[in-house]
Amino acid sequence: MDTAPGVSATHALSDPPGVGARLAALLQRRSVLPTLLLVPVLLFFIVWNTVPTLWLLGLSFYRFSLTSGRPPIFTGFGNFESILQDSEVWLALSRTFLFVILAVGIETVLGLLLGLLFWNSQRLPGRRVALTMLFTPMVLTPVAAGTFWRLIYDPTFGVLSAMLRGLGLPTVNFLGDARTAFGSVLAVDVWMWTPFMVLMTLAALASVPKAELEAAEIDRLSFLQRLRLVILHHGKFILMLGILLRTIDAFKTMDLIYDMTFGGPGSTTQLVAIMLYRRAFEVFSMGWSSALAVILLLISIAFTATFIFVLHARERRKQDMPA
Amino acid sequence: MKQTEHGQRRELGRRTLLAGLGAGMGLAGAAAVLGSPRRARAADHPLKGQSIHMAILGIAGWTPSKLGVDLAPDFKRYAKDRYGYDVDFSYTEAPFSQLFQKAATSLATRSAEYNIIISDSQWLGALAQPKWILPLDKYIAQRKGLDIEWFSPVVRAAYQTYPDGSKHRWGLPQEGDCMGLYIRTDLLNAPGEADNFQKKYGRKLPTSWEDFEALSFDDFTKVIEFFNRPEKGFNGFGAQYSREYDFISDPVMSLMRSTGGDVWDPKTGQVEGILNTDSNARALSTYKSLLQYMPKSAINYGVGELIDAFAQGKLFSALQWCAVGPAMITDSLKGKVMVVPTPYFPGADGKHNRNYIIGGQPWVINAFNDAAHREVALDFMEWWYTPETSLAFAKHGGNPCDKATLTRPDFDSIQPWYRAYKYMLQNSSDFWHDPAYADLLSVQQEGFTAFATGQVNDPKHTLDYIACRQQKILYDGGTAQKAPSAACNGIRL
Repeated sequence: MDTAPGVSATHALSDPPGVGARLAALLQRRSVLPTLLLVPVLLFFIVWNTVPTLWLLGLSFYRFSLTSGRPPIFTGFGNFESILQDSEVWLALSRTFLFVILAVGIETVLGLLLGLLFWNSQRLPGRRVALTMLFTPMVLTPVAAGTFWRLIYDPTFGVLSAMLRGLGLPTVNFLGDARTAFGSVLAVDVWMWTPFMVLMTLAALASVPKAELEAAEIDRLSFLQRLRLVILHHGKFILMLGILLRTIDAFKTMDLIYDMTFGGPGSTTQLVAIMLYRRAFEVFSMGWSSALAVILLLISIAFTATFIFVLHARERRKQDMPA
Repeated sequence: MKQTEHGQRRELGRRTLLAGLGAGMGLAGAAAVLGSPRRARAADHPLKGQSIHMAILGIAGWTPSKLGVDLAPDFKRYAKDRYGYDVDFSYTEAPFSQLFQKAATSLATRSAEYNIIISDSQWLGALAQPKWILPLDKYIAQRKGLDIEWFSPVVRAAYQTYPDGSKHRWGLPQEGDCMGLYIRTDLLNAPGEADNFQKKYGRKLPTSWEDFEALSFDDFTKVIEFFNRPEKGFNGFGAQYSREYDFISDPVMSLMRSTGGDVWDPKTGQVEGILNTDSNARALSTYKSLLQYMPKSAINYGVGELIDAFAQGKLFSALQWCAVGPAMITDSLKGKVMVVPTPYFPGADGKHNRNYIIGGQPWVINAFNDAAHREVALDFMEWWYTPETSLAFAKHGGNPCDKATLTRPDFDSIQPWYRAYKYMLQNSSDFWHDPAYADLLSVQQEGFTAFATGQVNDPKHTLDYIACRQQKILYDGGTAQKAPSAACNGIRL
């Protein structure tokens, strides 16, 4: 028979334990305390995450506009059908995928290069200042960054135009020209989020065992061989995590671009998250935008699943190989 | 019928409050008090002795909107003196592009967070249809002080009426506004300019208000071409092209309507065949062509950017709202700027056509206010249209709409833009007053900016695209009788 520590078996048999003692005994059971500690978090998660998601899912099956004055009408998959047939949604989605591929690709490459530059540079003078400055864009709010860059890009008052004029070059209307707007907002995203990939690269490099690096050096492996066989081998999980986080984040980019171009000129910088925002909070077409939000949620889940699948593919192959 | 029922529900709420006051007044008594002369009401006001806080939601950075609250201390004294209650005001503001969102999300929860909302005229339908705002017909009938004779029928149509063409009123004009042409007279009258213009174009340079009133759009482009001097960092003209809110739609729709076109038929909700005409396509192209007389950044201009460029002396002229006169005519530009009517387009009948988009905002009363707040809101608005307040509003730079103030002999001289404002108030019309306004606008802004910035180069195709999407929006919303035609299948920018 289990008894609480310090309580004799005789005493336990003769007198039923008090409420406090019973509670203490209950809490000492392995599973009870952790469960109790999880309850607030679970409640928070259910109230603020699960319920709204289910609500969103339910609303996506209704035709409901906040300003129509009419009650919601159940339409089944009508909103989904409408979205899939809407050429503007497909255009916005393709523009978003292009943005994600380019932004995350450039940020990863630049982040890797800059990370390697700062690797083992503890004795480099001004390292801390340089790293602090490098990470600054990442800690700014996207709306503030968007406002700065809108002013920097301004062809009349902007710093960039003043520099171009100083160099005797013609000024460019970076955000106002349909040919340059997409590239200009992409550049701001790269400026803002490359530091994140630098951070992830430095974390990945820190995870590489020194002994293996020394062994690689003794074996006289080239830098590229060391990068591939040692550094990426150990750091790939952290790097992939960085890419995954950036991919999901870039996929829902809205505030940074909205502040610079409002999705324009025309629709050249209208990513799908901006379209969703407009339909939900400018037009108040709640059913349609809920359906689009559900689709985007599924795409984000698909991203995550794909990355995790790729990440663990090699491990699975190893496990599947006969001993 | 529904509006009447709605009105009755609000009346019940007030009766409850009156009972709570212990005054023993029933609804009939209250109505009698409301209908009685002002002096009698002062003695027996149901809120006498009470303290009320009123919250107004208005437009950030918009002088006339803020004046609604800046002048409120006068109402505080007025209310204490006449009605015997204390009132104070708080003011919440949001930029144009976010104000409707702020108001709608609050009203959708049936909140009385904002007792009075300064709405844009185009939102009347979206606010009235879900019954978020108070129908005013009954109160206007009861209160003589709200039954105002306006300067132009456009005022009632734009700021009060929903549905279009009906007799139902939902708002009262907080400020009127029209587009005007801001002209730098110091440059116009600079030595040598008139002679050089005469030599180059073989005609007299317009210099007076009357000259500009008689100026056609084609002749106006000669003037702005003449003063366009980009090599000196100075341009002939500025107007709005931004995708934000309704910024590019205002001037484009103005040109379309002034050249005989329109954007829809409010009776049938038909857009296809009305918006996407050759005439409107030409108007769209014409508006784009004006970019050659503007700074490169003009493609991003909204109201604020245009003010900045003009106030910094970078433009000879600007197509801009009269409401921003105080910001456009800075201290350094005082005496150097004239505000004149916008250029006309000659009609086939020889008439001078000007039909520009109207600006300005009505204020509307939250339908979820309790009886006390509703009463104070109505008192406040009644005070707003007294001759003294209307004149004070004008002297602070606001644009009143009532005939009594606008026909005062000294009105034109109160502010530099008033003569043009009065003139243009009779030559303006509004956007759609439809609950789907935001959706219609979003498509239009996308299309117009796509064409202006070169994303698409065919103006007719741009209008076809907009017309198809708007037709679908209105058809889905039950406003349009016809679905989009087969030509709309698969159309994209």
